[in-house]
Amino acid sequence: MKRYETIPHTADVAFIAYGPTLHELFENAAFAMFDIAFDLSAASGRVTRPIVASGDTMEELLVAWLNELVAEAETHDMAFSSFGVDRLEEGGVQGWAGGDPVGSTPLIGAPVKAATHHDLAIVEIPDGFWARVVLDV
Amino acid sequence: MSAFEKTAEAVWEAPATDGMRVPGRVFASEALFRGASEDRALDQVVNVAHLPGIVRASFAMPDIHWGYGFPIGGVAATDIDAGGVVSPGGVGFDICCGVRLIGSELTHDDLRPRLEAVMARLDGAIPRGLGKGAVAGRRLLGDVLERGASAAVDGGFGVPEDLARCEERGSSEGADPSLLSDRAVERGSQQLGSLGGGNHFLEIQRVDRVIDAAAAEAFGLAAGMICVMIHCGSRGLGHQTCTDHVKAMGPAMRRHGIEVPDRQLASVPVQSEDGSRYLGAMAASANFAWANRHILGDATRRAFADGFGSPVEMPLVYDVAHNLAKIERHEVDGRERRLCVHRKGATRALGPGDAALPDDLAPVGQPVLVPGSMGTASWVLAGVAGNPAFDSAAHGAGRVMSRSQAKKRQSGRSVKEQLESDDIAVRPGSVGLLSEEAPYAYKDVEEVVRVCEVAGLARPVARLRPVGVVKG
Repeated sequence: MKRYETIPHTADVAFIAYGPTLHELFENAAFAMFDIAFDLSAASGRVTRPIVASGDTMEELLVAWLNELVAEAETHDMAFSSFGVDRLEEGGVQGWAGGDPVGSTPLIGAPVKAATHHDLAIVEIPDGFWARVVLDV
Repeated sequence: MSAFEKTAEAVWEAPATDGMRVPGRVFASEALFRGASEDRALDQVVNVAHLPGIVRASFAMPDIHWGYGFPIGGVAATDIDAGGVVSPGGVGFDICCGVRLIGSELTHDDLRPRLEAVMARLDGAIPRGLGKGAVAGRRLLGDVLERGASAAVDGGFGVPEDLARCEERGSSEGADPSLLSDRAVERGSQQLGSLGGGNHFLEIQRVDRVIDAAAAEAFGLAAGMICVMIHCGSRGLGHQTCTDHVKAMGPAMRRHGIEVPDRQLASVPVQSEDGSRYLGAMAASANFAWANRHILGDATRRAFADGFGSPVEMPLVYDVAHNLAKIERHEVDGRERRLCVHRKGATRALGPGDAALPDDLAPVGQPVLVPGSMGTASWVLAGVAGNPAFDSAAHGAGRVMSRSQAKKRQSGRSVKEQLESDDIAVRPGSVGLLSEEAPYAYKDVEEVVRVCEVAGLARPVARLRPVGVVKG
């Protein structure tokens, strides 16, 4: 199963992420968001940060998780490349992101301002889940 | 979806059906309308027409394109005293993103021998792209969030005379910095005086054509003059504030019994605790943006002075927001009402005689700044009387091509070479990213300006051609 694919959007950036489980769906959506903006091919992901987010529904939770990653990356000048979801339950997600300093990770796409709720969907499929996300860049 | 039909020259309308409270109305030529029909921008015009309290129409400016929630180029006014709502999605993540235009005493011939020196200094003086780097330190932040550009002036950036040439004198009323999250303030504390990335830019331009000499003179523009245009907003502080409030509005909408066709249109009544909290935080974020452009304007003047070895006279032409919700009074159905006017990728455009204009601009109307793409042209328009869309006009050329399509068409390096062969100096934060913002990714700005004039949104005053581009 591929991790994600980008889909057309005129002004911003949109992608569909895939995962055999919801945990991996969240991890792959996070990877997509950073992989679109950065060349992560040489990233080590050795500096890790805890990521905690809350939301009433799985869709709200996904947007909150992604936006927490955006804020954490900007605040600490990091480009994240590896992700782990430790707990994902009604109302909250706990995990971590590993990254490198922005200066050592080449930027290849417009910086992300935020993950939006527009056109947001999480859909269960026979071999897992997919999620559609539109980013404001 | 409602069907749009042409109802007048440059006007397309979808009647209010299926839960729409007002019609959808798009100002566009045949070509621009065809472009808007190719993605989901028109659906978004229709969705906005569902907002509680919306009056007259859900409008879209000629540079309309697909956004998230609101279309880019969307204008929606809600009647505050009739349950009208405020929607953070109608302002966007980059709260008070806008454009500043600075004039100068220089001609292109004056600049030519110094261009490289000035570009090198701008390259060093304008923090941009990712990373911390900001012109101003965090000590100014508290005051800036309260007062906007005037706090920047008091902090040593720019001069008091600049403020008369800023929309709202560079300060949004009702700002309450205590309503910002710690995370928003933390993000802003590292970024006061920075350009950001994406479509943000600083451009040296020359006035290549004057259409309306009287208005140009009042604005301080003349044929051949060198100008500087700056496009940026409230950076991470604004992004975080929008994120915080869109999230909070999920449960708040349920409390208020509001349903919207797109979660990103989350909204609450202006006259509610939730509405006040958003507007107070939004105004504080807007103050960051007003001050941010002001500080970058000051850094620009210093870079020119360094490049020339002596101060250069560079008066401010105007500074406008194009992502903001404002409380304004407008007549609707024969009665003056208090409205919350959302402009998401649209510029306020006050006509001649408006009381909010300074004396020297009152006879000609407000300057409306319409940046094009970095290889083509930008325009200065003027507000006109009788604007049909709550005194609003276009905010740019509007994208026509996705970022990935644009990157596939040409490499960043070849876009840079193309610009340089057209005699445009370029200092990109990332060469690879230049192709995302290449001229071919944008609509024809001339067409956007023509429609603004035909539709009675604003009239053309002067055209500006790029000379040097500093990109994030």
